[in-house]
Amino acid sequence: MEKILLPDIENLHLIDVYISNGGYEAAKKAFTQTSDDIIDQVKKSGLRGRGGAAFSAGLKWSFMPKTTDKPKYLCVNGDESEPGSFKDRQIFEINPHQMIEGTIITCYAIGAKTAYVYIRGEYHKWIRLLQKAIDDAYEKGFIGKKMKETFNTDFQCDIYIHKGAGAYICGEESSLMNSLEGKRGYPRVKPPFPAQNGLWGCPTTINNVETIANVPKIIEKGWEWFSKIGHPKHPGTLLFGVSGHVNKPGVYELPTGTLLTDIIYKYAGGVPNDKKILCVIPGGTSMPPLRGDKLEGVKMDAESLKEAESAIGTGGVIVMDEDTDLVKVLARIAHFYHHESCGQCTPCREGTGWLEKILKRILAGNGSTSDLELLITVANQIEGNTICALGEAAAWPVKYMVERFRYYFEARVNDEVSLPIANKVHSMRETSYPLADVKK
Amino acid sequence: MEFKFTEENLTRIEQEVKKYPERKPAVMAALYLAQEQNGYISNEVIKEVADVLGITAEDVLGVVTFYTMYHQKPMGKFHLQVCTNVSCMLRGGYEIWDQVKDKFGIENLGITEDQNFSLEEVECMGSCGTAPMIAVNEDYYENLTNEKVEEILESLKSTN
Amino acid sequence: MPNIIIDAKTLEFKKGQTIIEAAQDNGIEIPHFCWHPKLSVSGNCRICLVEVEQMPKLVIACSTIASEGMVVHTKSEKVIAAQNAVMEFLLINHPLDCPICDEAGECKLQDYAYKYSLGESRFVEEKVQKDKRIKLGPNVMFDGERCISCSRCIRFCDEIAKDPELTFVQRGDHVTIRTYPGQEMDNPYSMNTIDICPVGALTSTDFRFKARVWDMSSNKSVCVGCSRGCNTDIWVRNNEILRQTTRYNEKVNSFWMCDHGRLETFKHVNAESRVHYPQIRKDGELVEVGWDEAFSEAVSHLKTFPKDQIAVVGSPFATCEDNFITAKFAKSVLSTGNLDFIRHTNPEFADDILRNEDVTPNTKGAVLSGLVPSQAGLDINGIIKAIKDQKIKALYLIEDDLVQCFPELESSIAKLELLIVHTSNYNSSTNYADIVFPASTYAEKHGTFLNGFGVLQRIRPAVATAELDRALDGMNMSRLDKFGTKFDSWAAGKKNEARPTWKILVSISKALGYKMKYNMAEEVFSDMASSIIELKGIDYDEISESGVQLKVEDNKTVNAG
Repeated sequence: MEKILLPDIENLHLIDVYISNGGYEAAKKAFTQTSDDIIDQVKKSGLRGRGGAAFSAGLKWSFMPKTTDKPKYLCVNGDESEPGSFKDRQIFEINPHQMIEGTIITCYAIGAKTAYVYIRGEYHKWIRLLQKAIDDAYEKGFIGKKMKETFNTDFQCDIYIHKGAGAYICGEESSLMNSLEGKRGYPRVKPPFPAQNGLWGCPTTINNVETIANVPKIIEKGWEWFSKIGHPKHPGTLLFGVSGHVNKPGVYELPTGTLLTDIIYKYAGGVPNDKKILCVIPGGTSMPPLRGDKLEGVKMDAESLKEAESAIGTGGVIVMDEDTDLVKVLARIAHFYHHESCGQCTPCREGTGWLEKILKRILAGNGSTSDLELLITVANQIEGNTICALGEAAAWPVKYMVERFRYYFEARVNDEVSLPIANKVHSMRETSYPLADVKK
Repeated sequence: MEFKFTEENLTRIEQEVKKYPERKPAVMAALYLAQEQNGYISNEVIKEVADVLGITAEDVLGVVTFYTMYHQKPMGKFHLQVCTNVSCMLRGGYEIWDQVKDKFGIENLGITEDQNFSLEEVECMGSCGTAPMIAVNEDYYENLTNEKVEEILESLKSTN
Repeated sequence: MPNIIIDAKTLEFKKGQTIIEAAQDNGIEIPHFCWHPKLSVSGNCRICLVEVEQMPKLVIACSTIASEGMVVHTKSEKVIAAQNAVMEFLLINHPLDCPICDEAGECKLQDYAYKYSLGESRFVEEKVQKDKRIKLGPNVMFDGERCISCSRCIRFCDEIAKDPELTFVQRGDHVTIRTYPGQEMDNPYSMNTIDICPVGALTSTDFRFKARVWDMSSNKSVCVGCSRGCNTDIWVRNNEILRQTTRYNEKVNSFWMCDHGRLETFKHVNAESRVHYPQIRKDGELVEVGWDEAFSEAVSHLKTFPKDQIAVVGSPFATCEDNFITAKFAKSVLSTGNLDFIRHTNPEFADDILRNEDVTPNTKGAVLSGLVPSQAGLDINGIIKAIKDQKIKALYLIEDDLVQCFPELESSIAKLELLIVHTSNYNSSTNYADIVFPASTYAEKHGTFLNGFGVLQRIRPAVATAELDRALDGMNMSRLDKFGTKFDSWAAGKKNEARPTWKILVSISKALGYKMKYNMAEEVFSDMASSIIELKGIDYDEISESGVQLKVEDNKTVNAG
């Protein structure tokens, strides 16, 4: 099977190696076509976003207004903060130029003269690697003023890196734009959508790093070639990041539609000590977890996972063996979304903390079966009521974990624990203000 | 304590500013530079960043407190960041967290008395496939065991 | 106009309106905390979630644009579930300290807890603790635990006061509001944040812990701090003004007013320096006398001066009715044309938001009411000069402080043979007055002011004086007043003997043999409406709560919002 994104070519991150392997030819080809042609090909290729929502990339590009007085922007989303997801850093490290070339082609297709690659702040090393690649591409005339000669085109674009500073939410596209504008990373209310009103109020497209990295190959080899790889409704390869209880964790580039069991056993080397699998989260922690006894036949693509009542997300597969403490896992997940909630809208701000507190209480042995109902209720009260998808991201793991592993959670709370207070209407306040303070 | 950017950092900020149609977006880069120069983000730093970029101190304060990588108090010469999120946890993240805590006798966001080490429990760093991990300042150490952690910490101690 | 269907009612809306605006224009309230008609939409509170047919998820009414044929449900099962959810979430970390919270009684969170929540919480964890009693600025106190992070105050400072002083800090359920350390929220409009705060997170340092809101009465009035004439409510308990808040009027001040207007324009009503009874100077000292004695004293003195030795100074702080009668009194009763008033301006007070350079409420109204010299008469400069030259020997001074305005005039004023003063409080001029009449303040009478933009507005009594009848004068009651007995707070508190200037002048005119048949301010106004061209056809009741725009000179239409 041919690898589109992470081919086995030594030193591919060096620009000369990339060029000698046909690099930047796709960009040259693209500039002989109209931007509409490019969008059309990407649409027909069936390329879907790799950042989690799996939305058609070509369709997203086509939302950009053709005529506007305002500048247009492209944001390449390399915030990669979903627990279980660690694929984009491989692209920055192994094949940065393909992503840069994809960025150039995408800018041309949507008419953006500036692209920002938003990379999470913790990725210091990968920011340096990508910056080096961008500098080299400028020097060779693939980006910036020299594009005119290199590509024989009037089109010109610039690519900049914007470094994040530690906020999961900035992977949400509208929050990413606010962060890029130098603000708190609050998601924006939609509509208006970025294609109408994005960066600085201008038309903007946001694509994931992996999505963009696919573009040069689609232009080079044609949309028909791409559309035939993997699942027809979600074609191409995916960078599956496999972590947790497997013998060979890592990133595996495989066609969409690959069996989940193949990914775990064939590629990631199976579970250590041949233990049974208790649970698998197939697409990063925000996606509904699957039971270990329901993995047979599950294929890894957006459509198949929907049928399996989960979602592809970022393709981050987290495997948990039979000895795993699921309550601890879920409490840790809940802690994460509580910690990363931006605090802007009510259900997420208040609900994520509540979920964590209930789970921590259950973990401490002070839970009851009614808490399991409460977890699901609180999750349902968050879901669908928030400004951005962090609401669902926080609600789904809790709701589906408790529902699908009900027996497990019930066993844990089986010893009904009486709560330390009698009246549930009023809150618990263990530490009250000293009287002297109140008098002030 | 008074804070003024060095000439060199002012130049670097101006280079950052050029990337954007306005000055404000350079706030994140300017804060990194300030943290590098000053060790942490003090109120004076916030004011200086605001003045240099022509934005309000409130705006800068809002940004500083939103992102976890800006510190409003001094951190150690070696800032140890241990991921305990799910993928790391499944492979011993908390064992490493406890190991580092015990070794230095500090809690989350604590700092050793000699100011050499500070500790932070961090969220997923993107090392799930190479878990567990520690980041020391900007560098990742991955595929760790307790032995390896001991080795790393000892070598950091000896570089003091 | 396009139509939208809300809860099975077909309603018209204006293109571009959001669902919440379309609903509001049609008298349907969709609950909201963060949305405010004059602020940008932030969409964070989520209580305005509604169901729109054809849309997969609930949408927020504050940001969703209404469209032709859109079918909206605001009371469906899904919507009610979402409202209950949002309310439960908002209350889990809220301290629920209504019994000690100033906002209680006018709190959106409290109201909605009754209207849109199950009234019960399943939260048994420890609450998030945040900073309390943070003085954000000189006039505003912040309680982080009560805050629901709606961002109204932040947006107000950014967008209306144009002074971005506040920001959110931290994130998640630790989010709270701050100024930059060492800086204060001290913009001249800071107290509007207290009004728009939907909970008790922002309270007034001046009003804190003074009264439960339901124990006060409120009456509609107008601020006297400048010629904008911001619409206000005056809040009274035990016949004492405890606070003054802004009242919406799109023509004048939108939802806002400045802190100066709120805090500094009513304190004299409650002040120690009030003049409680008519006074006559006897052996160099002012002594209290009855009204009739004061009237005959005034009459007997006034009669002795030839008309060119008398001057009358009216007031831009007094109502149109006061000034109309003053003008009539000067010209017809005393037959003097030496008539004018003092202009009070302060360029430093003015801004391009609400505050005007003219720091009186009724300069325009004073002129319109006829407070102008006759052709041969002296204007204010002439009067001052004539006092210095001792050509004016008798001065009738109404609701102003000539000595304070012109300190260099003090010795000449001392030499006047007769000084009669109408005033609510003792001041520098009363030191030299021979007769002092206690005048009702703006908070103790009916009348009209004409603001700097030509909007004629009514003031109403909020504080009872001896001459007012609380019921006949239409004063609103508080909860404590509702029985109408002597145990009411109507009966409590001190009642001043003050009377409106026009009423005092009517009595003196009568004693001088000139009959004026006015019993109520409204009757004075009717007379004005029949004799002043700009007021022609205006009925006193028609001025109502939001005023009437007159066609007067320098008439600018203003948009305060």
